[in-house]
Amino acid sequence: MTEDGARTETDALRGVLAAEHAAVWGYGVVGAALPPERRAEAVTAENAHRDVRDRLAALLEERGADPVLPEAGYALPFPVLSPVDAATLAVVLEDGVAAAWVHALDRATGPGVRQPAVEELSAAEVRAVRWRAAAGRSPVTEAFPGL
Amino acid sequence: MLPSSAPAPRGLSRRALLVASAGLALAAAGCTAGSGTEQRGGPEQADRLAAQVAVQEGLVAAYAAAAAADAALGRQVAALAEQAGSQLDRLRAAAPATSASSSPAADGPPAGADVRGWLRAQVAAAASAHAGVCVDQSGARAALLGSIAAGLRGQEAALA
Repeated sequence: MTEDGARTETDALRGVLAAEHAAVWGYGVVGAALPPERRAEAVTAENAHRDVRDRLAALLEERGADPVLPEAGYALPFPVLSPVDAATLAVVLEDGVAAAWVHALDRATGPGVRQPAVEELSAAEVRAVRWRAAAGRSPVTEAFPGL
Repeated sequence: MLPSSAPAPRGLSRRALLVASAGLALAAAGCTAGSGTEQRGGPEQADRLAAQVAVQEGLVAAYAAAAAADAALGRQVAALAEQAGSQLDRLRAAAPATSASSSPAADGPPAGADVRGWLRAQVAAAASAHAGVCVDQSGARAALLGSIAAGLRGQEAALA
């Protein structure tokens, strides 16, 4: 791996970490706008993003890269006032994470990053499919998540 | 989402807002196959990408076979089949040495089979194949294959 290649890959992973921070924060909003009987899926998704966030932070620390910290707060792209709004926000969150992982795939220098990237990209799209359905979107799938 | 200290620019889509919030503007511009992103890897990688064209041709044929076996299912999954076709187009564009197969593998579902389940298995197999090859590709090829693999995982979930 060249030094430039490693730096580019690390920068892309920092972008993923920033997106994961946003997703963890955003799922708190998603859950709050869902009725109690539907919050479990938001909690599961939030925990999944929290897990990825922690693993990415550890990886970046191993590399001696500057940490990416969560913002103190985020501006919602639209008011989240209903379960449909919540599902729509969840789609936005997953799409943002997917874009970050695709960028990481583009910049990755080896299988050690590509393998988790394609797995997490797929996991984000599977979650997005469920949220698109909950938001009443059709089709619920994307041909090219993150591209 | 934008950090709350930053005003939201007018005229940006919801997606663009989130992408911008995560510092990912380059992702949207730099990861599209054929968009000018550096293409690393040699002929071996190109050959493996060409093999994935055949995999995708088989999937497109599977959608057609499923629709022929179960017309109602065919109508339900028409959008997914269209997406599979779009993915095939992008793969062909990224592996320009390939040409359309005149007879892609198109074994249909066995008689009396659960057609939806059969189709779901075909989608899952194609997703696994693309994901496996993605890991050994680089640059825009890896991004394209990874994205298509993820899209097919989404289809697999939708067919469950």
